[in-house]
Amino acid sequence: MTRPQAPLAGVRIADFTIHAAGPFCTHLLSQLGAECIKIESRTRPDAFRKPHAVYGRMQAATFDQVSANKLSVRLNLKQPEAVAIAKRIVALSDIAAESFRPGVMKRLGLDFEALREAKPDIVLLSLSSCGQSGPDSHFAGYAPLFGAWGGLGWMSGYSDGPPVEMRHVMDHSAGVHAAAATLAALHQRRRTGRAQHVDLAAREVASAMIGDALVQASRGSTPLRPGNGDLSMAPHGVYRTGQPDRWLTLAVRNDHEWAALLQVLAPELPPHDPRFATAPARRGRRAEIDALLTRWLAARDADETAAQLQQAGVCAHVSWTMQDVADDPHLRERGALVEVSAPGIEPRLAVGAPGRFSASDGVGIRRLTPTLGQDEDYVFGELLGIDSAGRADLVAREVIL
Amino acid sequence: MLFEEASPSAGLPLAGCRVVERSRTVAAAYAGRLLAAMGAQVVMLEPEAGSPLRQAPPLLEDTGESALFAYLCVGKRSRVCDPLTPEGQAVLARELDGADILIDDTPVRSRAAAGLDPASTVRRFPSLVHVSVLPFGASGPKAHWDGEELNLLHAGGEGFLLPNGLSHELFPDRPPLKIYGHFAGYQAGSTAVTCALAAWWTVPEAGGQYVDVSVQDAVLSVGAFALQRLGDGSLEHRTTRSFRYGGVFETLDGYLELLTLEDRQWGALVELLGRPAWAGEEALRDPLERSRRGAEINGHIREWMAAHRVEDIVRQAQALGVPAAKYRTPREVSEGEHERARGLFAPALLESGEPVDVLLAPFQFRCTPLQRGGRVPALGEMAAEATA
Repeated sequence: MTRPQAPLAGVRIADFTIHAAGPFCTHLLSQLGAECIKIESRTRPDAFRKPHAVYGRMQAATFDQVSANKLSVRLNLKQPEAVAIAKRIVALSDIAAESFRPGVMKRLGLDFEALREAKPDIVLLSLSSCGQSGPDSHFAGYAPLFGAWGGLGWMSGYSDGPPVEMRHVMDHSAGVHAAAATLAALHQRRRTGRAQHVDLAAREVASAMIGDALVQASRGSTPLRPGNGDLSMAPHGVYRTGQPDRWLTLAVRNDHEWAALLQVLAPELPPHDPRFATAPARRGRRAEIDALLTRWLAARDADETAAQLQQAGVCAHVSWTMQDVADDPHLRERGALVEVSAPGIEPRLAVGAPGRFSASDGVGIRRLTPTLGQDEDYVFGELLGIDSAGRADLVAREVIL
Repeated sequence: MLFEEASPSAGLPLAGCRVVERSRTVAAAYAGRLLAAMGAQVVMLEPEAGSPLRQAPPLLEDTGESALFAYLCVGKRSRVCDPLTPEGQAVLARELDGADILIDDTPVRSRAAAGLDPASTVRRFPSLVHVSVLPFGASGPKAHWDGEELNLLHAGGEGFLLPNGLSHELFPDRPPLKIYGHFAGYQAGSTAVTCALAAWWTVPEAGGQYVDVSVQDAVLSVGAFALQRLGDGSLEHRTTRSFRYGGVFETLDGYLELLTLEDRQWGALVELLGRPAWAGEEALRDPLERSRRGAEINGHIREWMAAHRVEDIVRQAQALGVPAAKYRTPREVSEGEHERARGLFAPALLESGEPVDVLLAPFQFRCTPLQRGGRVPALGEMAAEATA
């Protein structure tokens, strides 16, 4: 019996996305089995192929998570012939994905209408800062700007401090939402046979992360920035422990959990002390409880305490560094973390399958970061049927560049 | 199929997709919510007392209803179902019999008793995609661990890295700070939808199956860049991952985000600041030198920002090609011209009958716009409707 394939095996993506958010979307779909053809050029390489001084990286990345699994071909889209070849790739694809500023694909002759001519039932994903329409649609930006525009940055922060800057998780969050919407459009295509243009604005994903506060705002309220606090849970916070910079996160949902916490941290205290026995009482004495916890935890080992509290049924976890994450047997066993290596790439960790599938094999990373143009034999040769003389000519005329 | 063609949801991406949702957590409820927004028919199976999310903060000041529940559950249907009773089992079986996708956050240890053991759901409903969404997943040594948003954001590695930039500079001794609300839960919910729709895609070939999604995994997944940095030899820390210059700035009348990563943007920023003398220094043409002297540069920028109005700065910045954005309040987002033009918010009715605007979905389908309007379901409204 043949092993079952990854769920999206047979789905092909023509991938024009660059930077983080768009490539993360197509990377996820590729982890789920889609064949993703990354279209780029030597003159406009993606960010991971360049030095990144901001992160102290002085050369191209040897491993780049979001480009893993992808095939790479070169096309100089400034040339009409390259655009025509790109359309031929789209014609053989189910999905096309792009993350340029709105208007760029049209200028290249690769907008939705043009792609639909090449492939009448294409699903096009356009992922941008502010979307394909609206007065701000021409605004370009990065993750911190998405967070600022969308309201998530404002709502995050210490209650008495400034808003907080969102980082890569914001890009990638846009990418996950894009993947979900793109797959919905693919189902729609299967049902109706029609093309679809998915328009994802990263700043709207940031707004979706404060959907509750936006409901409040629409009723005329002014939502407050809660910091690490929670309106119903107390204690709820991040506490110092006996080790420097080793913090314990705690969230106590009910009286039962509070009693369980006391058993572990302060067994000498009566579990039903009326000052703290009920949620409203605890909420009224947050500062007092936080002070007690700080005292109780001051000399404790964070990791042992988290395990004891979990054992007792209390939501507790150490604030983990990426090294802690990397060392976690649980994440390894789940395949959420996988070790990857390749010629020229020392064994290292990468993020693996987004979910564990009971009846599909092959979900996850199958190959690592492609070198520029490494899959042209397959894509230009096998798929498009351009012979080697024809390809040499295209290279000579810098259509393939 | 005259009926389906005539139905207002027939043109939606997930028209005809039937989803059963059992949710106590934001992650599972958000998964159902995204599916509902895209046109799936989502039935929440709630306990007699209702989903705990119905009481989850923040609550609306005037009606006392949960703003979070309204956001997460608008457009869904509600049926009461206690799977520990024979009647409940009958309801569950009936709902699952016609369902394409089950979104389920029943803790692993409670599944068998509830008839939601994945081995049995997959056997009894061979075309069903059963998606489990749990804090630490349904398998692995910590599958029995429990966690709220705060714990999970830190278990996935992002919590430790916040806040960076100005907040950390102002309060260096405070504990790490979570992202507002349920960011981790939303990552898991959107990941669950992606996995559910991928598994559903392959039902014709592979049949139904069970998919195990974890909130911790999802946080790590969106935080992949920090893991990549670790592989490159750098362990990130909130104290050091700030941009060398740029970031959050206080202006005369609000906060602003400014970020220049490329050379031409630096040139445009100097223009925006009115070509001050300090920026004319030859050495600052080198991006590495600018990184090295980031604090000094930020000092100058802060001084300038503090003397200007945020809207004026943003307008000029965008015209010059300097990436800059105002830190907008929920009210400003909710009333935003751009959001209104794009129809980001749709009117809905709360259970109390009061009107409210709810964010429809953070994506659009330009050929078949999503359906607007909807209501927040009362507990068990499906049964009430059937007997009315």
